[in-house]
Amino acid sequence: MNCRKLKSWFEERYDIEPFRRFLKSKFVPEHKYDIWYYTGGIAMFLFVIQFVTGIVLSFYYVPFHEVAHKSIIDIVTKLNMGWFFRSLHHWGAQLSILTLFVHAFSTLILKSYRKPRELVWITGTILLGISIFFGLSGYLMLWDERAFAAVRVATGGVGNLPIIGNFIKFFLRGGIDVTGETLTRFYAFHVSLLPLITLVLVGIHLLLVQYHGISVPLSQENEIRGYKPFFPNVLYKDLMLWLMVFGIVVTVAALSPPEIGKKADPLAPPPENIKPEWYFLFLFQTLKFFPGEIMGLNGEMIAIILISFAILFFVLIPFFDKKSNRGERSTLFTWIGVLYTLYFVIMTIIGFLS
Amino acid sequence: MKILYSLVTRRTFLNTLFCGWLIAFLSGCVYALLKFAFPTLGKEPDFVVLNVKDFLDIPPNSVKPFAWGGKLGLFFKKEDGSNYALKGVCTHMECNVMYKPEEKKFYCPCHKGWFDENGKNIAGPPPKPLEFFDIKIEGEKLIVSKKGIKVELPKA
Repeated sequence: MNCRKLKSWFEERYDIEPFRRFLKSKFVPEHKYDIWYYTGGIAMFLFVIQFVTGIVLSFYYVPFHEVAHKSIIDIVTKLNMGWFFRSLHHWGAQLSILTLFVHAFSTLILKSYRKPRELVWITGTILLGISIFFGLSGYLMLWDERAFAAVRVATGGVGNLPIIGNFIKFFLRGGIDVTGETLTRFYAFHVSLLPLITLVLVGIHLLLVQYHGISVPLSQENEIRGYKPFFPNVLYKDLMLWLMVFGIVVTVAALSPPEIGKKADPLAPPPENIKPEWYFLFLFQTLKFFPGEIMGLNGEMIAIILISFAILFFVLIPFFDKKSNRGERSTLFTWIGVLYTLYFVIMTIIGFLS
Repeated sequence: MKILYSLVTRRTFLNTLFCGWLIAFLSGCVYALLKFAFPTLGKEPDFVVLNVKDFLDIPPNSVKPFAWGGKLGLFFKKEDGSNYALKGVCTHMECNVMYKPEEKKFYCPCHKGWFDENGKNIAGPPPKPLEFFDIKIEGEKLIVSKKGIKVELPKA
């Protein structure tokens, strides 16, 4: 059966005309900031890499605390290309989160979240949170000293939230301490719960973007240079970028496979100068800056509550920014966006250097 | 008494019945799921029994770890030879602490917290002092217990 026959077989049964019309009618505006449109596509491409490499890694990984650490060492030493796929999964994750932060902050500063795209923003922020949780849970899979301490701190930190804190903490840990129970739980989150939620949310996110069309920054509404057809012009550009990104991850993965620390021991002190993954550094540094006691109150709890409010404000920002919802320029929220970005970048750098 | 006009229509009645059934059914499902997903919590021990020989002879100004349930316990001999036991878990974010003999201080590497040799939080983020335990020696047994707990060992 040649291609034309297959095509007519399909077209006799299904009407693909609306789909074709949709592709033809999809245009992307050209302006000064249109480069930021590509960050979302790159994030999606990296997600695909994560899904594929994750599936093959799960063929070999054993999520049981006594053998988990060894099973990863086996993956990287005994299996064909095992070191490469673990490295690719690791670097893919790093780059995904980096891209997501760039995507989020650019959307924030260009205010693409404004009416009517509130839900696009909210699904996006949830996806960002989920990706960080992906990072934390995937990180524990190693079951080495650093991962163990990081998960203790992260789940313990959530435990400082008033009222619901302990409930969440014990739910995440699967008990009062980080133990083998935590590992099986995090494995379940990492390979079944989070991927499912991610698929659904990415689906909604993309559908909403199609529904609303792509957002043009307020300042550029009168400066549009023209419209490019998405298919094939923009898609080809996307593909080119994806290929470059693929080249970058594969190169980094091949050149610098990540280390595996010593197997976790609940009774051993964590290694000196322990630091979490870079995307937790801004939180880590914030916690370090807070003293143990502020005017007789628990400083940690205050820090966690403040952080929670800052995150909540970030998620709900389209509802606070009334001005840009009306289509007016709102300088205040530009500054808030810049402030969030700067805080994240500066705290991450301080965390790195200290 | 016969009511001529009903306050609810047949449609409202059936809708309410159906929605009520749906809510009851779903909440039953969710309740059961959560009940299963939420772990049965263990408890931190009130006391542990260790072997005197393993701990009493450690050199002064040093610590030896023991298992306090799933957490780290430290048996600690001060320079003057007095013995203590404490929970080796930082009060800030639950990382394990380590003892620095040169400085006679406990140190948590996670967020750089410091405690003096009496467990008092002296620098960094920790909000509370380290938890010290009571120790008691009964023959070969070294009993480490939470402060204020009366330990009654089963008679063997």
